[in-house]
Amino acid sequence: MYYIALKMLIGDKGKYIGIVMGLTFASLIMTQQPAIFLGLMTRSYSFITDVGLPDIWVMDPKVQFVDDIKPLQDTELYRVRGISGVEWAMPMYKGLLKARLTDGTFQTCIVVGLDDATLTGGPPVMLEGKIDDLRRSDGVIVDIDGARDKLGKPSPVPGGKPIPLKVGDVLELNDLRAIVVGIAKVTRTFQSQPVVYTTYSRAKSYAPKERKLLSFVLVKAKQGQNLVELTRRIRETTGLAAYTQAEFKTLTFEYFMHNTGIPINFGISVLLGFIVGAAIAGQTFYNFTLENLRQFGVLKAMGTSNWTLLRMILLQAVLVGSIGYGLGVGLTALFGYAMRNTILAFKFPWQLLLFSGAGVSLICVFAAIISILKVIRLEPAIVFKG
Amino acid sequence: MQIKYILPLLAVAGFLFAAYTVISGNKPVPVAKAVTEPASAPFKSFIAGAGIVEAQSQNIAIGTPLPEIVKTVAVKVGDQVKAGAPLFYLDDRDTRAILAIKIADLAKAKADVSVAKATFSDAKSLSDLAEAVTDRRAISSEELLRRRNAMLIAKARLESAQALVQQAEAGVADTETTLSRLVVRAPVDGEVLQVNIRPGEFAQAGFLNTPLLVLGNLDQLHVRVDIDENDAWRFDKNSKAVAFLRGNRRFKVDLTLAYVEPYVVPKKSLTGDSTERVDTRVLQALYRFDRKQLPVYVGQQMDVFIEAQDYSPSKDSDNRQDAKGSSS
Repeated sequence: MYYIALKMLIGDKGKYIGIVMGLTFASLIMTQQPAIFLGLMTRSYSFITDVGLPDIWVMDPKVQFVDDIKPLQDTELYRVRGISGVEWAMPMYKGLLKARLTDGTFQTCIVVGLDDATLTGGPPVMLEGKIDDLRRSDGVIVDIDGARDKLGKPSPVPGGKPIPLKVGDVLELNDLRAIVVGIAKVTRTFQSQPVVYTTYSRAKSYAPKERKLLSFVLVKAKQGQNLVELTRRIRETTGLAAYTQAEFKTLTFEYFMHNTGIPINFGISVLLGFIVGAAIAGQTFYNFTLENLRQFGVLKAMGTSNWTLLRMILLQAVLVGSIGYGLGVGLTALFGYAMRNTILAFKFPWQLLLFSGAGVSLICVFAAIISILKVIRLEPAIVFKG
Repeated sequence: MQIKYILPLLAVAGFLFAAYTVISGNKPVPVAKAVTEPASAPFKSFIAGAGIVEAQSQNIAIGTPLPEIVKTVAVKVGDQVKAGAPLFYLDDRDTRAILAIKIADLAKAKADVSVAKATFSDAKSLSDLAEAVTDRRAISSEELLRRRNAMLIAKARLESAQALVQQAEAGVADTETTLSRLVVRAPVDGEVLQVNIRPGEFAQAGFLNTPLLVLGNLDQLHVRVDIDENDAWRFDKNSKAVAFLRGNRRFKVDLTLAYVEPYVVPKKSLTGDSTERVDTRVLQALYRFDRKQLPVYVGQQMDVFIEAQDYSPSKDSDNRQDAKGSSS
C-alpha cells in the first residue's frame, strides 16, 4: 500500500518537484530570514559577548543599551571595588571617536579603553601581535574587518579594494597619533564600525575632554557569589546600575526590539514566507490529491479502509515535507556558509532548526488535512461516473 | 526514477549540513584572558583605593635661597646624602669679589685703629707730660687744657676706629653668609630622587612646578591612599590593609597605618591624567610598609584594600525600621 502511495507521489515528476520546491522555498524563507534577524540582533550585544571575562557590568542607571554611554566619575571604580563579594573591578572606556585616515577621510570608530595594568576585557582572538603590545606607547589594536575595509588605505587603482591596515601603520585619533600594534578578530557590531582597542588612560587622552570618562566598571564576582545578590548590593551601595552579562544582553536586545523597526520588518517577511510557502505547498499538494482522486476511489472501491488511505496521504505529506525541509535548511546553511566572510549578519541556532521544522510540519499537516477530508468524503462510485 | 533517490539524498545532505552549521556556528566566543590577573582583596568587606608610593619624609622639593646660575651639581640621582652635605653650588664670583673688598675694608679699618692708637698714645704722652709738671707757673693752663683735650679727642678717634673694625668684620661675616647660601645643602639624610638642574642653568628662587632637586628618605616608604569621601565613614584606623603592586598581583605587602591626614582634600587624579576632572573629595591615609618586601619605586601606584565593617544598605534600612517600630 505504501509503495502505491510512493508510486503515486513520485510518478508525476513535475508535480512532485513542484510540491517539494514549494516546501523548500517555504522552509528556506522561514529559516534564512530569522537567521539574518537573529544574526543582526546578536550583533547588537556582540560587544558584551566578546568581553567575556567579567560577570557584572556596572554603569549609569540611565544606560539603555550597550552603545548608550553615560560616563561615570573615576572614583566610582573604587567604590565598586570596595563592595564585598567583588573579586576585582576594572574600568573600561567605550566611545565613538573619529579616526583620520592617511588619505584624509574620516571614519568613526568604536574606541575601547582597557585597564592599563591588566588589560582586562581585550579582544577575544588576536590574529597578529599580542594584547600586551598595547603597553607600547601610542599602541592600538584594530579589528580585522575594520583594518581590511573601513580603516584600510585607499587603493592605488581607483575603485579597487583598499589596502588593509598592517601592524606598524599609523592612524590619527582625534589629532593624536596611534600606532597599530595588533590585529584582532572581534564579532561584528550592529553598526559595523571598526573597533579600536587601547589602554584606558590613552583612550582618555584620545577622547574629547570631558569631566567624566568612565563608561563601564567590569566586575568579577568572588568564587561562589550569588550574582543576583551581588548586583543588588552594588546597586544599593553605589546607586549605579549593575547587570549580569546575560541581563545586559537582554537589556540591549530589548532596546533594539522595542525601539527599532527590525523585528517588525523581519517578522513580516517570515510571516510572508510562511503564508506563501503554505499557499504554494498546500495548493500543490491539494491539487495532487485531487488529481489522484480516481486512484483513491479505485482503492476505496477495492475495499481499502479510510484509515489506510489516511496513512497513505500522511506518508506522502511527511515525505515531501521532510525532503522540502531538508533542502530548505540545507540551502540556508549553504547561504550562511557562502556569506560567512561578508558583512551580512547570519546566526543559525538549533532553536531555528526546530522553528522551521515546526513551520513546515504545520504547512504539511494543513495540506494533508484538506486532502484527507476530500478523500474520506469520497464516494467510491465516482470512479465509474466519468 | 533517479529523482526518487536524488531528492531525498539531497534533503538528508542538506539537513546534515544545516546541523553541522548549527553546531559549528554556535561555539561560544573564546574569552580573552586578562594579561595579568587583577588584584583582589583578601578581606570579606573592605574599602578599595588607589595608592601612590612616597618617601616617609615625603618628597622634599629642594629650593634655592638665591636666584643664581648653577655652577656645579655635587650629587647625581640615587646618591645617598647626609644632612648638611652640599647638593649644588651656585655661581659665587661676584660675592667672592665683594668679600675681597670687605676683607680689604677690614684691613683698612684695622690699620686705622693702629693709627688712632699711635695718635692717642702721642696725645696721651704729651698730656701726661703736662700733667706731670708740678709747678703750675711753668705751663699755661691753656696749654694744659689743649693737651688734655687733644688726648680725649684721640681716645674718641680710637674708639671710632675700633667700631669701624667691628663694622668691617660684620660686613665680612655678612658676605661669608651670602657665600655659604650659594651652596645648597641637604636638609635631612636621604636619597636624591630627581635632579632637574644642570650647571649653567638658572636656579629660580621661590615655588617651582618642577623642583630643582627632589630629596627623600627612602629607608621607610609610605603609601598615600585616597579614600572616597563616600566611604570615609567606613574607614577604621585599626583595621588591616594590604597593597598590591600593579601589573603583578603576586607582589603584595601588609600595611601599617602611619597617620591619617585629617583634612579631606579634593581628589587629584592619581590614576593617570594630570588634569583634575573629578569633583569628589578624598580622605588621605598614609601607610607604612617594609620596603624589602616589594620591588617598588617612589611615585608608583598601588591598589590598596583596607578591611572595613560589613555594610549593606538594606541592613541599614532594616535597622531604621526596627528603630521606628520600637519607638512607636
